[in-house]
Amino acid sequence: MSEAETTPPPPAAAPAPTVPTGSPTEFLKGVVGKRVIVRLTSGVDYRGILSCLDGYMNIALEQTEEHANGRVTNRYGDAFIRGNNVLYISAAEAL
Amino acid sequence: MLIFSVFKTLTDQQVTVELKNDLSITGVLKSVDQFLNIRLDNIQVLDAARHPHMMAVKNCFIRGSVVRYVQLPAEHVDTQLLEDATRREAANPSKR
Amino acid sequence: MDIASGIQEPFDLIRLSLSERVFVKLRGDRELSGVLHAYDGHMNLILSDVEETIMIVDLPEGQTEGTGAVSMAKRKSEMLFVRGDGVILVAPGGR
Repeated sequence: MSEAETTPPPPAAAPAPTVPTGSPTEFLKGVVGKRVIVRLTSGVDYRGILSCLDGYMNIALEQTEEHANGRVTNRYGDAFIRGNNVLYISAAEAL
Repeated sequence: MLIFSVFKTLTDQQVTVELKNDLSITGVLKSVDQFLNIRLDNIQVLDAARHPHMMAVKNCFIRGSVVRYVQLPAEHVDTQLLEDATRREAANPSKR
Repeated sequence: MDIASGIQEPFDLIRLSLSERVFVKLRGDRELSGVLHAYDGHMNLILSDVEETIMIVDLPEGQTEGTGAVSMAKRKSEMLFVRGDGVILVAPGGR
């Protein structure tokens, strides 16, 4: 009886937020600040460091390289990508 | 809301609306709504020979979603005012 | 969160570009370079001193992607409203 009251609550799902649990939201939290590949529905890829993103999947990238049909076609220091164009975000380094 | 306000200040000015189907229409901006639907009067179509069906059209309503660009009269746009208003709206995300 | 540049959400990147020249990539193989004066949550933009580049790929019948000759059309515009739904990417610093 009293034991239940004194026992501290079990630790939350993950002690450190950097450990991904598998949910999409956790994944996105985990890749902020990491190297990512953003693929657009057009097939063009953007490789860079994910600065941040919002609920529409608008994305801010740093040190961005644009890859189209296997070649680097542009480089940007910073880039804002409008979320509706995003097909996926892929981690390009270990989380 | 901000861009809607900008268009409202430009009523009765001449603008050129370029549509996503590449049709460009110049005319006097008569009115605009929150969807950025646009009414133009006294219109003229760029390259009218290619768009003969537009010849007799004197005014039109353009659905906002089919617009690609609107060329604005630069002399009637206060860029400093725009930037300040944009910063104000960005600081108050509820208005987005 | 990007402490160095103070970017917390993707739109901050755009806000910091107000009154600066930006590069905009649009649907339909169009690119713009212009000075940013206004934007909203849809990424509707108002730019001045705009140069638009339209890429036209001439793909002769039977040729594979990437082999056709690319021609470019350029246009200038003093003050331009750009509807947000056509925006793919915005990068500070035009070219």
